[in-house]
Amino acid sequence: MERESRKRPTQPGRGSLPLLLPAGTVFMGLFFLPMAGLFLESFRLYVPGSIGSSANAPLTFANYLELLTPAFAGFFFETLRISLLASLVGLLFAFPLAYWMTRGVSPRWRAVGVGFFVTLMFLSVLVRTYALELTFGAAGPLRPLLLSLGISPNGRGYIETLVGAGLLHYIVPMATLTLLGTIQNVDPRLVDAAQALGAPAWKAHLTITLPLCMRGLLAAFLFAFTFSISAFVIPMILGKGRVLFISNLIYNRFSEIADYPSGAAISIVLFAVALAIVYVMSHQVLKRWK
Amino acid sequence: MLSLTRRQALSAAAAAGAVAVFASRRAAAATPITAVEWGGDVVNAMKQIEAKQDKVQVNWVLHQGGSGAILPKIKATWPQAEYDYVAGWEGSFSGMIKEDWLVPVTVATVPNLADIPQKIIVKNAKGEWMAVPRAVGGIYFAYRKDISPVEIKSIEDLFDPKLKGKICWPGPTQSMMLQVVALALHGGGNERNMDPGWALMKKLAESGNIGRIAVTDTDFTTSLTSGETVGGFYSEPQLTAVAKSFPLVRLTKQQGLPTFLYQSGFAVFKNRPNLQPTLDFINFCISPEMSSLYAEVAGEAPLNVKAKTPDSLKHLAFTPEEFDKYVYVPDFNEVLTQQDAWTKRWENEIAPLL
Repeated sequence: MERESRKRPTQPGRGSLPLLLPAGTVFMGLFFLPMAGLFLESFRLYVPGSIGSSANAPLTFANYLELLTPAFAGFFFETLRISLLASLVGLLFAFPLAYWMTRGVSPRWRAVGVGFFVTLMFLSVLVRTYALELTFGAAGPLRPLLLSLGISPNGRGYIETLVGAGLLHYIVPMATLTLLGTIQNVDPRLVDAAQALGAPAWKAHLTITLPLCMRGLLAAFLFAFTFSISAFVIPMILGKGRVLFISNLIYNRFSEIADYPSGAAISIVLFAVALAIVYVMSHQVLKRWK
Repeated sequence: MLSLTRRQALSAAAAAGAVAVFASRRAAAATPITAVEWGGDVVNAMKQIEAKQDKVQVNWVLHQGGSGAILPKIKATWPQAEYDYVAGWEGSFSGMIKEDWLVPVTVATVPNLADIPQKIIVKNAKGEWMAVPRAVGGIYFAYRKDISPVEIKSIEDLFDPKLKGKICWPGPTQSMMLQVVALALHGGGNERNMDPGWALMKKLAESGNIGRIAVTDTDFTTSLTSGETVGGFYSEPQLTAVAKSFPLVRLTKQQGLPTFLYQSGFAVFKNRPNLQPTLDFINFCISPEMSSLYAEVAGEAPLNVKAKTPDSLKHLAFTPEEFDKYVYVPDFNEVLTQQDAWTKRWENEIAPLL
């Protein structure tokens, strides 16, 4: 009897289906239908000089075939590389921070910390990006210092670092907030027990805390990574036109040269790549840390 | 302390009421139109022009990004048009004409067109005039004399190692890619034979001299004023403010460094209720007096032959001999048709080298 009552809530009943209706309707209208339109557009033939494709344009694979170039693969690789690095670095910052906020401060200061990070999330990406540009960019006060240290603000490495820093502005608060709950759910007595049995603190954390937090870390990573690969404003402002993310190429296609079919094809490819990465990452992590 | 008698207070209230009624009647008499303009000095100039007439009251909408960015928004709502006119240039007009959105204009509907050189007016396949030109701007090489380590006199100077990271170069969606046409001309090609231009563009990208690829007008201005870069290829409005504060060398009359001219103007839309007031307002805007005012404030040379060109725009005034020597007039139809292909070529061949 007790077992049955425990199982009941996990089984979807017919009565719960109407609860899906509002969200399902919104998703159908605002996500699936536009995505279907985008998908169809990506197969339409574009005539140079026109605005998008015509309604009766013939269907073609040309918009996808033209993406099969080393240069385009390079754009994807650049977007994924910078996004991956920024996400991993972000987690390196966020995990100890979240751990310290969970275990090392009083509930009152924890609330203050959470409030601070939530406030950071409210700050527009544009504002944060321009703050970085004004400090480290062309007219920034730190520019003479960088030059005196032999660091060229126009160097490729510097620009990529600045774009990564722009992504971290969002990743660190978001990942910290995501990880707070994860760490709170780890019983601290497990680490205490390991240490009481002679394990050094670092080993206890590495073998107990980290594996138990792996699902939370995966969630935080996926949030950070999907945000990063679709970032548009950050590479546009901080990338000086030399670091281009896929989103910037999509914008160029849609807004500047009005080649919607090509923009749609790139969007679909980006969407597919992002889905594949999320699937593989989730699958691997869940397989290893059930 | 100010004290008023009851009579004075009533008189003041009556006067204020009369002014308010007059103002509201005037506003009510003016026909509302919606126009899309560029921001900064351009819309300031247009607001000053609007204030000098009372036939229309303009709801100003600003371009966000390049002038092409408005096109998808128009297409999304067409055949319902939201704008009476959209300010643009040859590039955006071309797309609008292909979509058949525009009202043809004539000297009968816009009489001041009689004072605009007909050669420059954008036409459709039938030869109808499809936009009203108001001014001309230049796209050319320039540099800051006070901080440039070299005196730029030719395309070859752009490859000087002293200019490492010091050149601001337009991105693929800026300046109609005339920057590569300029390189092509230097290499013996032109807009129909761009291979020499792309070869030089690769060489320039590999040289490391390009410090910034500018994708917005602000990028050009900020990079030059901050000293991040010292020179490059610019269009006129990007330099107007810079020239007021810094010693700028505008290479509009330098052999071997071509100057390109573009027109800005008005595209009048079909399916709008206030066509005649819109045409009347545009006619007023291109009158000699308003053309002079626009040139003074917006920094683009007037096209009305009776208008006065301000001293600050003398670098865009060419004698016929100078015009032949320094100005290159590309086949804009070819340039605009190739934008898609050139942008993709930039992404494939140039961007990876930057």
